[in-house]
Amino acid sequence: MNRIIKVARMQLINKATFIGIPLIILGGSFLFTLAIWWLVRRNGSDEGLYSGGAQAPMWYFLALGIQALTLTFPFSMAMSISRRTFYLGTVALFSVCALVLSVFYYLIGLLEVATGGWGMGGQFFALQWIADNNWLVQILFYFVLMVLLFMVGFLIATIYMRWRTTGMVVFFTLLGVVVLGIIALFTFGNYWDQFWSWALNWTAAGITLWGGLVALLMAGGSYLTLRKATA
Amino acid sequence: MPRTTAIATRELSKTYKDVRALDNVSLELEPDRIYGLLGRNGAGKTTLMSILTGQNYADQGTAEIFGHAPFEHDPTLSRICFIRESQKYPDDFKVHQAFKSAALFFENWDEELAQDLVEAFALPTRRRIKKLSRGQLSAVGVIIGMASRADITFFDEPYLGLDAVARQIFYDRLVEDFAEYPRTIVLSSHLIDEVANLLEHVIVIDKGRIVIDSDAEELRGTAVTVTGEDAKVQEFIGSAQIIHRDALGALASVTIKAKLDSEQREQAKLMGLDLSPVSLQQLVVRSALSSTTETGIDERTEARK
Repeated sequence: MNRIIKVARMQLINKATFIGIPLIILGGSFLFTLAIWWLVRRNGSDEGLYSGGAQAPMWYFLALGIQALTLTFPFSMAMSISRRTFYLGTVALFSVCALVLSVFYYLIGLLEVATGGWGMGGQFFALQWIADNNWLVQILFYFVLMVLLFMVGFLIATIYMRWRTTGMVVFFTLLGVVVLGIIALFTFGNYWDQFWSWALNWTAAGITLWGGLVALLMAGGSYLTLRKATA
Repeated sequence: MPRTTAIATRELSKTYKDVRALDNVSLELEPDRIYGLLGRNGAGKTTLMSILTGQNYADQGTAEIFGHAPFEHDPTLSRICFIRESQKYPDDFKVHQAFKSAALFFENWDEELAQDLVEAFALPTRRRIKKLSRGQLSAVGVIIGMASRADITFFDEPYLGLDAVARQIFYDRLVEDFAEYPRTIVLSSHLIDEVANLLEHVIVIDKGRIVIDSDAEELRGTAVTVTGEDAKVQEFIGSAQIIHRDALGALASVTIKAKLDSEQREQAKLMGLDLSPVSLQQLVVRSALSSTTETGIDERTEARK
């Protein structure tokens, strides 16, 4: 247990990686959005303003998942840490970071609504489709999205660490074949209308549930892959 | 009661695609000694150390550290320190951050020693590791290895890029610290003459096989070079095992595996033959060469460079 916490502390030695950079990305995209809204309002538009800028730091987590592994994993081997301990410490740390950020999203969303969309009627954090849900679903929704993206990066990186270039070629070839197969199936079967009416009816809670399940599967997959990876 | 062995392997084998990196390696290393793991580039030194430290795993055979398999076993791993020659560090890490991290995980970490070595190697600790020169990068690994004071410490070609002064500092400090805090040290190297004086026990690996596993003192006496008139040399060495032969006209210089007693030495003198000791480096080079008969010629020229 003790060493798992030490892994988290090691990952935090450079605070920029897990805390600083996500906050800079979020702050930057928020300020840019405010500036754009202000310009739009000055031009006399009075329509509702929406922004997808809140997802900006989430994409960084994809890169973080890759980076936490490809660079820190070989170093953790030199620190005589088992793969299991490294995995648990890193995933636990990320989960805590994601949870804190998710709560922050929820709270600042409340502030956004209270200030009338930052005085400009804008929606950056409290997007209607998510903000309509109760607090738990909102927080979990953000949390699952963040963990999901981190896990995508993490899983791809573990496959690389274990099977190197061969692993990447096989993985992306298979992925391409599967995606192409599904598209072909839908196209020949004329399922596209059905698909879109099904996909557009997803709720935030539904995405949270299924996304969480996929994230769990990927977490298990990356753990099993990492168990025999080499630096 | 016999002392527990520090490292024990039994019939360890590892194959990468078509290369046999380790071939039936069985070893026993006692605690609190300095071992030299010698061999050419690609002989299997790093592979062996990776398996012993749980960073890699064998296809066959077993490896035990203090009686326990190291792979994924934290209590065993925490007693080991192994910084690779090509060690990767987190991209944004500065030198002092790597030390801070090592201090977290190595219980016996000695910060004072680390700072002392930083000064001795003139290492800029506020610099990013990826901006360091090859020598400075080696120094980071050396400092982590020394200051960790782990029960078993592996040094993987620790001198790469270090200048002669820095290398001497490393050797001196290692001996000094070892005297005060005895532990098992495995030093992998192909600069054999430079480390020869440090080593108490020598293990030579070639093409994944152990070709020498012997006490350093003992090893030095196991071979001798006989120089003189070809016919007389031939007569003198008799059926002794020849490690190497050089000939120039009627003169021959033959290295044989033999322990000569004083009577034999006297006899050689009477026959007008010169006897000279064989350095550890020569012995290792010859042993490595004699195990590769087909490509021996090419490699001999390479070994001389």
